[in-house]
Amino acid sequence: MRLNDITRTTGFRIGLLFLVLFSVTSGAVFAYIYFQTYGYELNLIDSALARRAKVLSQYEPATLIQEIEEGSRNDTTRREPRGLFNANGEHLAGNMNGLPKAPFFDRPFEIEVTNPGGSRRVLRMLVHELPSGQFLALGRDMHDLREFHELLVQAMESGGALVLVLGLLGAAALGHASRRRIDAVTRAIRRIVHGHLSERLPAGGSNDDIDRLAAVVNNMLDELERLMREVKGVSDDVAHDLRTPLTRLLAGLERAERRAKTSDEHAQAIQSATEEARGLLATFNSLLRISEVESGARRQGFTSVDLTRIAQDAVEFFEPLAEENGISLRLNATKPSELVSGDAQLLFDATCNLVSNALKFTPKDGHVVVETRHVGEEVELAVRDTGPGIPEEERDAVFRRFYRSEKSRHTPGNGLGLSMVAAVAKLHEMKLSVGDAAPGCRISLIGKRVTASGQS
Amino acid sequence: MTKVLVVEDDSATAAEIAATLQDHGCTVECVDTGRTGLVRAVSDAFDVIVLDRMLPGGLDGLGMLATLRGAGIDTPVLILSALSDLDERVRGLRAGGDDYLSKPFEAIELAARVDALTRRRSRSAEPESRVQIGELEVDLLKRTVRRGNRDIDLLPREYALLAYLMEHAGQVVTRTMLFEAVWNYRYDDRTNVIEVHIGRLRRKIDADGEPEMIHTVRGAGYILRAP
Repeated sequence: MRLNDITRTTGFRIGLLFLVLFSVTSGAVFAYIYFQTYGYELNLIDSALARRAKVLSQYEPATLIQEIEEGSRNDTTRREPRGLFNANGEHLAGNMNGLPKAPFFDRPFEIEVTNPGGSRRVLRMLVHELPSGQFLALGRDMHDLREFHELLVQAMESGGALVLVLGLLGAAALGHASRRRIDAVTRAIRRIVHGHLSERLPAGGSNDDIDRLAAVVNNMLDELERLMREVKGVSDDVAHDLRTPLTRLLAGLERAERRAKTSDEHAQAIQSATEEARGLLATFNSLLRISEVESGARRQGFTSVDLTRIAQDAVEFFEPLAEENGISLRLNATKPSELVSGDAQLLFDATCNLVSNALKFTPKDGHVVVETRHVGEEVELAVRDTGPGIPEEERDAVFRRFYRSEKSRHTPGNGLGLSMVAAVAKLHEMKLSVGDAAPGCRISLIGKRVTASGQS
Repeated sequence: MTKVLVVEDDSATAAEIAATLQDHGCTVECVDTGRTGLVRAVSDAFDVIVLDRMLPGGLDGLGMLATLRGAGIDTPVLILSALSDLDERVRGLRAGGDDYLSKPFEAIELAARVDALTRRRSRSAEPESRVQIGELEVDLLKRTVRRGNRDIDLLPREYALLAYLMEHAGQVVTRTMLFEAVWNYRYDDRTNVIEVHIGRLRRKIDADGEPEMIHTVRGAGYILRAP
């Protein structure tokens, strides 16, 4: 990985931004503390000088000289030099050799002096004019404060350098890490693009931004993979299930071509071919309808639909057929209306498919009950029968297109009825489940209840 | 003879429709754009217009229909569409269509619907209160049914079925048409169930020994006619 790549990563840039922000704020804080401390120290020195000048100026001239001389003797390191000068600036007493050129009286100023040892020092000075016309000069060595100042500046420089180096390294590390994550994700995406649809984006496990994004993309991939599998399954099933009637159709026509002699025989062949083709067309229509439902476009036309009304219509529609087959078909609704948001036509179709299925598998003298009820915020429409039931292991499979269980292989139907129900359930975000009614099975659709405006 | 105007841009489909309707005894004229369709519909008296929903050029099926109705021409219109959506049907009927058929459709279905539209036009004078076919009599106000001297008791759906059959007496009514008219849902291939309903109705209308009035037309639907 080139350095150039790292500097372009978001991680590095954010690291850099933080470094700059941190440097500026810490510099400002540092400067503030520095000026405050320095000013405070200077203030201490200045007020000490002023106090000393005030004390000395109250002495009698004779005691003053004595006092200055004594103070000078004690000040061996010349940290606090002092001197008394006459009006002409000639030295009268003290360890200060000459009257420094003061720009003004009674206000502290700084001068540089050379000590007898040869070392140069900075002094904070105050010159006071005594009532006698003499000048009193007081000094304070600034060495300590200077040292403090230098130390502080040094600390700031080295600390700054350290922050800069560490910050840059940190930013580079951040950049490198994010670059590596992105590279790993990019590689995974490339593999997916090349057809390895089972590949997933790597997650770092820290649930950070990239992880969250990767999780979303992975979910999308799961769904895509499932859909791809389904599409493949469907086209396999379509091919397989349409081949049989097509073969039959072709065989019938060929046979007629070879053997049919009379026009009656021809008519017979044409009629059975037409019926076969009509069946094929119906199968295609069902498939198209399922895929139309699955496309979700019909969700736009959703209105509030009464499930009980739908169930009632379906029961009424199938009742004569049930009676003919010696089965009792009835509606069991706990309430006169159960509203959901949906497409009445599709919900009716789905209910019809369920009822039709139930009637198909329920033996004579059996019962089929269509139930609607609500549980809390949910509404359930269920069709219960006293047929043979659906074995546990087949309960998911029955919703696949063209799935025919062993028991249903010899009953009429194209194996698309329950697929349609599943598609309608999915469109309505309803939970579709197959349960045991012992004996028989109970297929239920559970959706969210909506309330008619103003009512509960 | 019934004159039909077919507005359909796909020439193969148009030929198919024309052949079906000609076999059915209609004279058919085909045009392939909404504009020429409009011109023809305005300048000549047709009994029925079969109109494709999607047409090339500026004027599509619904646009042409709206213009036609705007011009005060109330020739019955059967809309054909590849869009099987329920909304499409509603939109088509709202735009002034009289019936709606989604492709692919069977020839017999088209013929039966064109028949029904022609019939509606020739009859729709004022709402009748009584319909009589042969010795079968329906009182549309009291909702009572008699055959000869025999009162017939019908369930509401059976009555609705019979009323529709009576309204279209003497012409083939397909199962799809019955289902849409009586149950108000779109048809989704529940052939044998409709058959059972008709069977029930038939047992009540055609009692033992009486000549049959409700006949099954093989592969198509039903027809009610005087024996």
